[in-house]
Amino acid sequence: MTNTLLSLNEATRTVNSGSNKVTLLDNIDLQVKEGEFISLMGPSGSGKSTLLNCIGMLDSFTGGGYTFLGEPVHSMKERNRSKLYKEYIGFVFQAYHLIDELNVWENIETPLLYKNVKSSERKALVADMLDRFSIVGKKDLFPQQLSGGQQQLVGIARALIGRPKLILADEPTGNLNSKQSTEIMELFSQLNKEGVTIIQATHSEKNASYGSRIINLLDGKVVS
Amino acid sequence: MILNYIKIAFRTLLKNKGYSFLNIFGLAIGITCASLIFLWVEDEVSFNSGFEKQDQVYYVPTHQEYEGEWRTFNSTPGPLAEAMKTEIPGIVRASRTKQRDFLFAVEDNSINSSGRFVDADFIEIFSLSFLEGNSKEAFNNPKAIVITRQTAEQLYGKDIKVLGKLLKVDNKEDYVISGVIENLPKNVTFPINWIAPFERFTDGKEWTQYYGSFFADTFVELSPEADFASVDTQVRNLLEKKTEDADSKAFLHSIKDWHLRSNFENGEQVDGRIAYVRLFTIIALIILLIACINFMNLSTARSEKRANEVGVRKAMGSGRSRLIIQFITEAIILAFIATFVSILLLLILLPQFNLLIGKDLILGLTNPSHISILLGITLVCGIFAGIYPAFYLSAFKPVEVLKGLKVTQGSAKFIRKGLVVGQFTISIVFIICTILVYQQIQHVKNRDLGYNKDQLISLNVNGSMIEKFSVIKQDLLNTDAVTGVALSNSNVLNGGNNGSGLQWTGGTNTEDVLISFRLVSSDFLETTGMELVEGRGFSENVAKDSTSVLITESFAKLMGEGSAIGKKVIRDETYTVVGVVKDYLYGNMYNNSDPVLFLNYHGEANYMYLKTNPEIATVNMLSKVESVMKKHNPAFPFEYTFVDETFNAKFKSEQLIGKLSQLFALLAILISCLGLFGLAAYTAEQRSKEIGVRKVLGASVSGIVKLLSKDFLKLVGISILIAIPIAWYFMQDWLQDYAYRIEINWWVFVFAGIAAILIAIVTVSFQAIKAAIANPVDSLKTE
Repeated sequence: MTNTLLSLNEATRTVNSGSNKVTLLDNIDLQVKEGEFISLMGPSGSGKSTLLNCIGMLDSFTGGGYTFLGEPVHSMKERNRSKLYKEYIGFVFQAYHLIDELNVWENIETPLLYKNVKSSERKALVADMLDRFSIVGKKDLFPQQLSGGQQQLVGIARALIGRPKLILADEPTGNLNSKQSTEIMELFSQLNKEGVTIIQATHSEKNASYGSRIINLLDGKVVS
Repeated sequence: MILNYIKIAFRTLLKNKGYSFLNIFGLAIGITCASLIFLWVEDEVSFNSGFEKQDQVYYVPTHQEYEGEWRTFNSTPGPLAEAMKTEIPGIVRASRTKQRDFLFAVEDNSINSSGRFVDADFIEIFSLSFLEGNSKEAFNNPKAIVITRQTAEQLYGKDIKVLGKLLKVDNKEDYVISGVIENLPKNVTFPINWIAPFERFTDGKEWTQYYGSFFADTFVELSPEADFASVDTQVRNLLEKKTEDADSKAFLHSIKDWHLRSNFENGEQVDGRIAYVRLFTIIALIILLIACINFMNLSTARSEKRANEVGVRKAMGSGRSRLIIQFITEAIILAFIATFVSILLLLILLPQFNLLIGKDLILGLTNPSHISILLGITLVCGIFAGIYPAFYLSAFKPVEVLKGLKVTQGSAKFIRKGLVVGQFTISIVFIICTILVYQQIQHVKNRDLGYNKDQLISLNVNGSMIEKFSVIKQDLLNTDAVTGVALSNSNVLNGGNNGSGLQWTGGTNTEDVLISFRLVSSDFLETTGMELVEGRGFSENVAKDSTSVLITESFAKLMGEGSAIGKKVIRDETYTVVGVVKDYLYGNMYNNSDPVLFLNYHGEANYMYLKTNPEIATVNMLSKVESVMKKHNPAFPFEYTFVDETFNAKFKSEQLIGKLSQLFALLAILISCLGLFGLAAYTAEQRSKEIGVRKVLGASVSGIVKLLSKDFLKLVGISILIAIPIAWYFMQDWLQDYAYRIEINWWVFVFAGIAAILIAIVTVSFQAIKAAIANPVDSLKTE
């Protein structure tokens, strides 16, 4: 009864490096249902990040089919694709990637600006989010004044503010210590319970175990 | 959204103080400089434009033909004005005018005041507004004089109810004040402090009624419906109709064109001062361009710092257009800050600039046109400077920058280099032009004048100086402060007082050579230091020597082979040449002067020249001369000018060009250096890892400084190669305007090149050395 969120059908990604054609992703078939929590695992260079970026539409597959919520992404124009991911996808990065010149409040608010949300509504949404993550007291601080764990918390808050259906997290705990890692992963599994679909790339077996399904990649292929 | 951009912009500015300073300061200098130029341009183009009927008022100069060439003069025959008014439909008013300096005396208060004798129409033509009296009756009394408010206040104080008062002029003639008018605007070509009926001037002067004597400045007013072309044609034909001689043509010249477009070559209007106005407008734009280039260069050089933000924003859902708007907004904000700084700079610098150019410009920030121009400059600079970085930065791919891949700077690097070359090319062109303009001015100033302008002072002849000349001369010589005294009808420095139609024996008797007449006292040559090449000078005994003349060498050449001594010159009577004087320079200092005929007659003298004793201090000399003049000519204030100072003043406009080009060259270089400094800083930062590795591998500090500086010096080298032909072309063209000019020397280019390289080395090496002496451990561990 759960709907399919996205499906990949022999999705391939190649790049030209000099005269060689390098295949980063090789005929990936994948179905993701709403409410899943998927962990992508594999050694460095196995294609985890590329797969995330392509699913997140920051990058695109060079072959095969990609359907998101029933819409064929592979044949879409840039403008519609951007509309789609603005609406349904949130990103969490290993290096947090907060904007240094903006404080916590403004960083969380940014995606709403690009979705043209009204000022009063923005205020309410950001306030809710700060409240939920218990970082109200930090709203006027700038990223460099926060610890890594706190920055990632803000990063997740920012990814969630647009109420996405899918969160893509590329090694979200890669720069954190184990205590902070545990907190972030607890948060993810909490979010997942609330209905958000999550795909994370990780090296850590422990983090992967939070997910409902583990996909192993090796040299651009799904091995299990 | 915009608020978010503004916030980001300010925080970015504050976070990168050094970069912001370079950008803002560079742009502020550019805007300041452009504003100063535009204020000057505004003043220049608004000359003679404060009048109600400015579009209908014309000045009437004449083209006159000499030796097949048309020359242009301001003066017209006296009867022309009336003839134009009555015979040419379309001309509704006309006025003859004649400029005069008056000495006004009211009790102890006396002032020298320049004004004009005019016809009554003048009042209507220029819509003079009467504060006292009225325009209809002002000239009813033949002894009337109308003075400006300023003159009235200088003479009588704040209370200007002075109608009917008797005004003593030059301590002999009485005038009756019949009106007080509002002061004329400051920037008019014919400043007047008073006007009086023209008949007072022509009274008893028969020659003012003839078409043959050109002496009056004439103004006319056209009716609003009049067709300019047809009226102008009729004016051009009028003199021929009257004199049956086709060698002079009066024509209409708009008063608005008078100041800027009054150079004529062979009867055709050529540029004039407007060329400089155009030139400086272009320079202003170029300096703004250089400042904008700085902004572009520094922005793209810093792109790695902004790349991450671009990536994050794109991942958050920002489209490219929003990023472009964001970056342009940032540039505009920066431009506004720069404008604010430049307003402060302008407040400080404007008085200095006024001093430099001898004007009275005001910032006028309440003037809507000033504000809109300033706003316009700001917006255009912001958009222009921001647009390239905006497109460049917004094109980054989020996947690449977020992964921390190095941003490939291919196109930006190339364009950046091109822009640096552009900036330095302009700067080097400025340096070369500055040197050549300076050389040209010096060249002409050091030109052999044919007489000695040093230790020579000039007094205006007034009162009874002519009648008492021999006594005054003797008394002056007795003081020992003066070694020579002479009278002349003309200023030694100036042209004028010339004519054609002379005949002479020997040589080709071309009648239409323009000859200047100089009526001088016998000791004129000794006093001024003019050199006699042949024959004798004038005798002290004027009566015996009245048919003797001296001529200049160029005149002697006209008379053909052999000595000119003893040859005859026929004007209205026959004169005998007794001496030949070396050619001397007068009028246009850049050309060769016309031949001169000297007559031994000082009855019409206007100037008294004194050669002073160099061994007596100037102050003592002047007080001795003054006491003599006070004794013999007590009614007049003692006023004098040093001929060498007047000589220097003749170079005012060239010197202004010289000073301004120095100033702008300096600023262009300064702005370019700010940019280079910033670029060097970022290059050093970008290559810090490379420098670290090289140092670990054993590179020396000097080797690394060389490595970092080399690239920039190459760019400056290319700039030099581009700048030289450009500068050569422009200066060659500029020098064409001067008959007496310098040759362009190759060492000027070498000098400018070396200067540019030195400046670049100093700018770049600071950053290079800083990077080279840094501890490699710091740069390597941060990676």
